[in-house]
Amino acid sequence: MENKDMDLYRHTDTVNELLARYGVKFGIYKNNEFHEQLFPFDAIPRVIESDEFAYLEKGLKQRVTALNLFIKDIYGDKKIIRDKVVPEEFVYASSGYLAQCEGVMPPKDVFTHIAGIDLVQGKNREWYILEDNLRVPSGASYPMIARELCRRSSPKTFQQNHIADNRNYATLLRKTMDYVNTGGHTVILTPGRYNAAYFEHSYLAEQTGAHLVTGNELIVENDHLYFIDYSGKKERVGAVYRRISDEYLDPMNFNEESLIGIPHIYDIYRKGNVALLNSPGNGVADDKGIYYFVPKMVKYYLDEEPILHNAPTYLPFYEPDMKYVLENFDQLVLKDVAEAGGYGVVFGSKMTAKQKENFITLLKKEPRRFIAQEVIDFLDIDIMEGDQRVPRKADLRAFVLMGEEPMVWKSGLTRFSRNPDSFIVNSSQGGGFKDTWVLSQ
Amino acid sequence: MGIISVENTDRLYWLGRYSERVYTTIRLFAASYDSMIDLYLNSYEDFCKNLDIPNIYTSGENFIERYCFDEQDPNSIYSNLIRAYDNCVTLREEIGSETVSYIQLAMYAMNRAKVSQSPLIELQKVMDNLLAFWGIADDNIDSENVRNIIKIGKRVERLDLYARLHMPQTEMRREVDRLAGRIPRTCLKYKKENLEMLKTLVESPEINYYEVVLKVEDLLED
Repeated sequence: MENKDMDLYRHTDTVNELLARYGVKFGIYKNNEFHEQLFPFDAIPRVIESDEFAYLEKGLKQRVTALNLFIKDIYGDKKIIRDKVVPEEFVYASSGYLAQCEGVMPPKDVFTHIAGIDLVQGKNREWYILEDNLRVPSGASYPMIARELCRRSSPKTFQQNHIADNRNYATLLRKTMDYVNTGGHTVILTPGRYNAAYFEHSYLAEQTGAHLVTGNELIVENDHLYFIDYSGKKERVGAVYRRISDEYLDPMNFNEESLIGIPHIYDIYRKGNVALLNSPGNGVADDKGIYYFVPKMVKYYLDEEPILHNAPTYLPFYEPDMKYVLENFDQLVLKDVAEAGGYGVVFGSKMTAKQKENFITLLKKEPRRFIAQEVIDFLDIDIMEGDQRVPRKADLRAFVLMGEEPMVWKSGLTRFSRNPDSFIVNSSQGGGFKDTWVLSQ
Repeated sequence: MGIISVENTDRLYWLGRYSERVYTTIRLFAASYDSMIDLYLNSYEDFCKNLDIPNIYTSGENFIERYCFDEQDPNSIYSNLIRAYDNCVTLREEIGSETVSYIQLAMYAMNRAKVSQSPLIELQKVMDNLLAFWGIADDNIDSENVRNIIKIGKRVERLDLYARLHMPQTEMRREVDRLAGRIPRTCLKYKKENLEMLKTLVESPEINYYEVVLKVEDLLED
């Protein structure tokens, strides 16, 4: 597989041109203005051997199953708090915890329908989980369409290598949506054209055959959700894959100023008359502070040893951890638990003395707000820069879909930093993406 | 007919209108541009008058630059293509990525034309992509209703533009026939009496073009 002359590599520009042709973009706001940007693609794939993926698959299923049980428990019996495995202050102080979700169980008890788990591979070849994204993880559409275009650009590459076909994501997603559908149409709810991930919303709608809708095309009446068609006829909706944050979903139950939500949708969800994917309130489990406890959840709920490991993480909230963080500040990366998208991440080694002093003051004042992690020396992955192969930091977002059983998509979004000195791979911060090949034998 | 929302019906219709507006105005602009080369330097004034757009231009050169490419000018070809694009990208699940891609390609060609030394040559590529868009729309979109709504937008826009430009009777008749044949095949609600009036108007030896514009613009129910 380390074929440095693989035919596909010569087609990076072609694939990027095709991605531009199909409008594969993401939105970004700069100076309060909306801009569409192409997501740069690099043709050298991340390659995961079949047995290595089998290990990841097992670990990811285990982790997401435990996270699903955790959310169910938190909004239900709260056994994990009573048993003092997770401190209650970490749960209730989390911005992702929603009191409105107390006692509400979704159709078939599935909360984490689509999970995006971010991993990195260290130079020791060990995989580490960096983040669990359980609200509205995005990114699957990019490798889906890129694979299609790579096959078109270089059929030979795909004839000569045994690569699992990743174009089944839409089928897996549809299966996930159908599994919890309470009767009626399936829709994908988008905030609209000027959302950063709008391409993805529209592409997934096209590929799954779901209707792409905005909030004003849906209405709650007589305890059910309806889509209003051009003639005014109401068609029942049974599943909503919502790409809107919890707080904007329903102005009657969450942020009352939301103009993009659907009034009372949460009331009928509570009654079991519509499925919402992912379930509201999931943010409590993908909080960066709660992340620390996920291995403990695996043991607690499944009575199993965690297969996949977290990056070594410290909670300054705990005194011994605070002490460690202060003593090893320059070796750690500090993350604000309320931030996402690569924001709120600072490296101790890159701060000036004054910045460090200010940060430590803040850390002592708000210890719950930050986590600290050892800086993992990622395994670099090559990208093409002109005619040169150059190494860059890259992560992997794996997608786990929860239907009757958890399903791990045999691919994923590999994002890389284009800056040789940076660990930040997010598209909003200039990163690019690669296809992720899982070898089928 | 599959289910389709009021919003998407509206977007499909306007996608048809704006893409046709871009196509036809480039064609007409090219003719007008040609006459400006050696005959009539201020012919753009007639062009603006006929299309009922404000003559905000200071010279033939200024007209060429701004009418084609000025994003801030709501009447420019560029602005109309952006509107076609804005409608198109919200319709991916209705019309398919392949169909959407031709409006995207037209947008890229327009951006190249904007910085080109030979804008007319590059604008030809915008037209080529729009023609391909119509072709793929016909070929790829499964729903007859969806196809027909876009085509009604196209037909309404063309008839409107032709009436404003006082096109010959044969062309006016042809466009009314095409519109009349298509509109009953959609879910769109329209005023039958206006359609009948349009048929009558284009048969008259002296077409009342102003009346045609009024009836076309008032053809669809709100």
